[in-house]
Amino acid sequence: MRFLPALLAFMATAWFWSFLPAISAGETRSWAWAWLPDQGVELALRIDGLSLLFALLITGIGTLIFLYTAAYFRNDDRLPRLLTLLMLFGISMLGLVLADDAISLFVFWEGTTVTSFLLVGFDHNRRYARASALQALIITGLGGLALLAGLIILGQFAGTYRLSEMVLMGDAIRASEIYIAATIFVLLGCFTKSAQFPFHFWLPGAMAAPTPVSAYLHSATMVKAGVYLLMRMSPALGGTEIWMWSLTICGAITMIVGSVWAMKQDDLKLMLAHTTLMGLGALVMLLGSGTKEAAKAAVLFLLVHALYKAALFLSVGILDKQAGSRMVDDLGGLRGAMPLSFAIAALAALSMAGFPPFIGFIGKEVIYESALHSAASPLLVTGSALAANIMMVACAGLVAIKPYFGERRAQKNPGDPVFGLWFGPAVLAALGLWFGLFPAALGHDLLEPALGAVTGKAAEVKLYLWHGVNLPFLLSLLTFAAGIGLFLVIGAVRRALQAARVPGAEDGYDLGLAGIDRLSAWVTRSLQGGRMTVYLKLSFAVFAGVIWMAILMSNTELSRPDFRVPLFQFGVVVLILVSTVVVTFTPSRLIAICALGGVGSGIAMLFVMYGAIDVAMTQLLVEILVVVFFAIALLQLPRTPISLGFRPFDMALSVALGLGVIVTLWAVLGTELNLYLTEYFEKYSAPKALGRNIVNVILVDFRALDTLGEVSVVLIAAIAAVAVMRAGREARK
Amino acid sequence: MLVAFPILTALGTAVFCFLMRDQRQGQMLASLGGALIQVALAVALLWTVTTSGPLSAQMGGWPAPFGITLVADTLSALLVLSTAIVLLCVVIFSLSEIEREQERLGYQALVHALVAGVMGAFLTGDIFNLYVWFEVLLISSFGLLVIGGGKAQLDGAVKYVGLNLIATLAFLTGVGLLYGATGTLNMADLNQAVSGRMTETAILASAGFLLFAYGAKSALFPVYFWLPASYHTPAAATSALFAALLTKVGVYSILRVFTLVFETDGTPLAPVLIVAGAITAVVGVLGAVTHREIRRILSYNIISSIGLLIMAIGIDTPLAITAAIFYLVHNMLVKAALFLHAGLVLKIKGSEEFDKVGGIYEQAPWIAVLFLVPALSLAGIPPLSGFWGKFLILRATIDLPSLALTVLVLVVSLLTIYSVARIWLEIFWKSDERGEGCAPAPALMVAPIVLLTILTVGIGLYPDLLYSWSDSAAAGIADPSTYISAVMEDPS
Amino acid sequence: MDFLFVLIVGLLVTSGAYLMMSGHLVRFLYGLALFSNAANLAIFVSGGLSYGAPALIAEGEKAPLEPVANALPQALVLTAIVIGFGLTVFALALAKRAFASEGTALMDDMRSAEPRAED
Repeated sequence: MRFLPALLAFMATAWFWSFLPAISAGETRSWAWAWLPDQGVELALRIDGLSLLFALLITGIGTLIFLYTAAYFRNDDRLPRLLTLLMLFGISMLGLVLADDAISLFVFWEGTTVTSFLLVGFDHNRRYARASALQALIITGLGGLALLAGLIILGQFAGTYRLSEMVLMGDAIRASEIYIAATIFVLLGCFTKSAQFPFHFWLPGAMAAPTPVSAYLHSATMVKAGVYLLMRMSPALGGTEIWMWSLTICGAITMIVGSVWAMKQDDLKLMLAHTTLMGLGALVMLLGSGTKEAAKAAVLFLLVHALYKAALFLSVGILDKQAGSRMVDDLGGLRGAMPLSFAIAALAALSMAGFPPFIGFIGKEVIYESALHSAASPLLVTGSALAANIMMVACAGLVAIKPYFGERRAQKNPGDPVFGLWFGPAVLAALGLWFGLFPAALGHDLLEPALGAVTGKAAEVKLYLWHGVNLPFLLSLLTFAAGIGLFLVIGAVRRALQAARVPGAEDGYDLGLAGIDRLSAWVTRSLQGGRMTVYLKLSFAVFAGVIWMAILMSNTELSRPDFRVPLFQFGVVVLILVSTVVVTFTPSRLIAICALGGVGSGIAMLFVMYGAIDVAMTQLLVEILVVVFFAIALLQLPRTPISLGFRPFDMALSVALGLGVIVTLWAVLGTELNLYLTEYFEKYSAPKALGRNIVNVILVDFRALDTLGEVSVVLIAAIAAVAVMRAGREARK
Repeated sequence: MLVAFPILTALGTAVFCFLMRDQRQGQMLASLGGALIQVALAVALLWTVTTSGPLSAQMGGWPAPFGITLVADTLSALLVLSTAIVLLCVVIFSLSEIEREQERLGYQALVHALVAGVMGAFLTGDIFNLYVWFEVLLISSFGLLVIGGGKAQLDGAVKYVGLNLIATLAFLTGVGLLYGATGTLNMADLNQAVSGRMTETAILASAGFLLFAYGAKSALFPVYFWLPASYHTPAAATSALFAALLTKVGVYSILRVFTLVFETDGTPLAPVLIVAGAITAVVGVLGAVTHREIRRILSYNIISSIGLLIMAIGIDTPLAITAAIFYLVHNMLVKAALFLHAGLVLKIKGSEEFDKVGGIYEQAPWIAVLFLVPALSLAGIPPLSGFWGKFLILRATIDLPSLALTVLVLVVSLLTIYSVARIWLEIFWKSDERGEGCAPAPALMVAPIVLLTILTVGIGLYPDLLYSWSDSAAAGIADPSTYISAVMEDPS
Repeated sequence: MDFLFVLIVGLLVTSGAYLMMSGHLVRFLYGLALFSNAANLAIFVSGGLSYGAPALIAEGEKAPLEPVANALPQALVLTAIVIGFGLTVFALALAKRAFASEGTALMDDMRSAEPRAED
């Protein structure tokens, strides 16, 4: 059962392998299903040279890693969970490289982000694992969102989300207004995913994941997704200054930072993570160069790096498992006890250091050759490649020589591991040698079609182990010499590096996150402080503001008010006005309640005068009930002082609101009232609805639904009032 | 008459439940039966509307605009269906969560009464009648908020009731003013009566009253305070019901009234909606990343998504409206799922605070997954329903001349991811430091969450159905002529 | 007279808002009652005022013989008054219970749902 994923991955590898002849002959295969047709979104898959290369890496390395995982966690009951997540990741990753629809690509892209999050946090009981998972999620999530925006912008411009069609429109895209925005968004996505400076720091943090996960996601496949997309989009977006320089500079910095920081690590796994940064930086830098040679170097190095780096990660995992540690200083002299492990590590490290006859050597030669002809800056590119490669030699030594030579040191009794653990890395390391010895077929069958997809035109890839004595070869010799020299003094270099404390981009992340936390806490506390008066003031301010805004932005024509009024009515008006003022300012509850009754009955009297008998009766009845309830409810409460300090701000706000209401109401009264509804009611009340009191007819017939709602409200209010009287009992206990 | 049935069923069920409040079995059956009928009715309604256009019914047989017209276009029918689904899930959940004592006070009756208000609001074609249904749902929500509650619930209720009553009175006054200015209450009739008069103070200021009222109902910045003050206090079933429905009625009203009655084009209303929406989205998500309690975080997530919705409504292109409607439905389902899940955590752990809970991923991995899926959907991760909502809103902002709103949506989305990731880290991943283990999860609580989760996954994998409904609803909004003719011409 | 009605509405709104912002539960309720009256009055005024005649149809007639008061706003106000009554009763009950459980009538001191931050 636990080998099922490996078996499935192997079958998938074989399936993809079967496409090789057709694809290397320049054909493509594609499938498409409608997904959201109105928006032009499809689930479109396409196999061309580039996606096939990636698919083979994903499934092939996947097969070996799944096998390794099953052995590594054979006594752990979390194995099913781990394998499930790894499979989900593998499927997402495959989808990502096969997708021809930009939105489908994004869907799978986010799939890898989420599975990566869950895998980095696999040891979720450790705070560090959780923090690292969150960091990876936020950084790649940020990029993912930007990427989505970029892809939508491109899709809008191109009129299609098909990547295979977008890449044909490169010239139009580069000339368009959207180019800059789209490029920035897409680059953000690629740089975060592939851990380019200044987003590189999440990758070492992701080493909190179990070793097989790191080998698979954070070295061989997922972190290459950004590189993949850069390759894929090169024909559409590449070739401009902004593209060239951002890739070259970010790539170069990532490469150097990764290499330097790799040397100082104590943990071999972290060291490998930093050398992965070097590899990713190199790939991005090469893609920035914009020449065909550089693209060829990138495609080749992609494969080279995946092979040796996965093998090295797995062999560090073996050390961890068999010798009980993966710290540089805890290990030594193990080659006798673990000959097989040593052989694997040595083979892979030789490829990493770029020694012949390994494929790493060819990769390095091709890189130097393209660097010398870089369209960006040959000096910068060649110089940083040289420096990084020298440091890679030293790191290769640290990984493959330090633990196996010298005085024997181990945390537990070491020995070679079981088959499942050594088989995977052995195959990967051996492939590095095999391809080095026989590079021609690799170049022609696998890399040529891939290169064709990157450059947008047919390309030829001829690989040789021996190029003759030329400048790249001399640079290689320089690399070996300086690298070995560096390795000999590595102890001192490491001490110096460890003493240095340089602020990194990670501090920026920490500061940023802390800043967001502080900002959000401040904003939330300021707005939602739990003080009801603040809420009320703000609400009324908005209320008044909205009304005044409407008044000021409209054509206000107000007629002259007419104050003439019969004396009797005037008395009622005065009653209401005085009672209102009394309610507002009296400290006595009893007087306030009486005055409230005064307001209510005054209004009822107005209703009577203006022909609203039913309204007036209801108003009076309700007013009496309310006053009684007020009296019952309030007089039962113990007396608490009512502070009556005058609040000028509140008063200003209230007056503003009141004036707004007055102006609005006066403006409404200034329009001519259209009475056709009422005329209808007057006409049909008696003949059709058989009622003489028009108001009642409206209530029970014309607008009976209102009355149904009204009755419901009163009944529900009764239930709710009973409920509230029973609430809060715990307070009494 | 199909249009009236959701309202009548809800009221009828409420009465039944209240009468049977002392018989546990009977009340359960009545409530569940009512909810199932609602789902069936809603499906029938949506099917009818999408196949043969808007459906209307003149109450009492009085022709529009004289009587009250109930009318269902695609938008209404779609929201009625979402409401029915949420109702069903909440009722199932409440059967396990709500205590005997609260049931006896009429909990189930209040749930259905609230739904009657919501259904009425979605289906009425009359603006005063809309006010009445607002009151029905408001008073029911008051009851639900305090039922069986303790101190926190009462305090939350004071703020909720106080602020909502102000909004309600603004609504009432606004309707009165609008009647004074136009002489009619029927919204389709108002469309013609208001037409060309948006520059008049009487019209624009009435619109201001209504905007304030609906803004407060939708929990728009800066009048959302009642929501975070109260949503975390009642039973989880109650807060799920609130989260899924209440603010959405406000959003629906803005969508309906500010397209059908008032023209937003060329008025200050559109920029106001965009700016208020944008600020709401940001402020909301900032609140969500600062709290340390599940439902408090989710409450702020509601505010944030309301902001995005209102912003999209303010953008007011056909695509933006489609996006808003799609997002609205997605949000109703997912918010219900997450709030119910908070109730589940409360049940099995006795708390929903970061400082007290942990280890669910280890102890009950399937419960954790059941949170993860809707949470990812909320965060807009594909291939879940939230992704398409986010995609459509982004698409709508990208059509604008400036990318400012696009960047804003991106920032809000990122912080939303952060906010739900925090819940995942603290509640599910962090080890159970108190070592108290996990109580078993009742099937009645799990089932509705599973159902809602299946829906979000289903919409994610097959977005075309909901999209085409949203699209047709948006078309009805953009060109209200079919709605108006359905109301004004007697269909009998 | 129209304008005096408008002034009354304005004053009721002003006083209502001022009272509600006091933060005292009881005064908040006074304010609410005033505000509620203001809303009803506003609807009534918006529907046009006609002094005297109630909207009744005399026995044996099919329609009112003379102009009568506009019946529609009256019906609306009636509905609003009854609804307002229901809400007020609930609000009173809530105020009473909230006062009992929180031990204060000052809304700013009611902090059970949103406790003060520790800082």
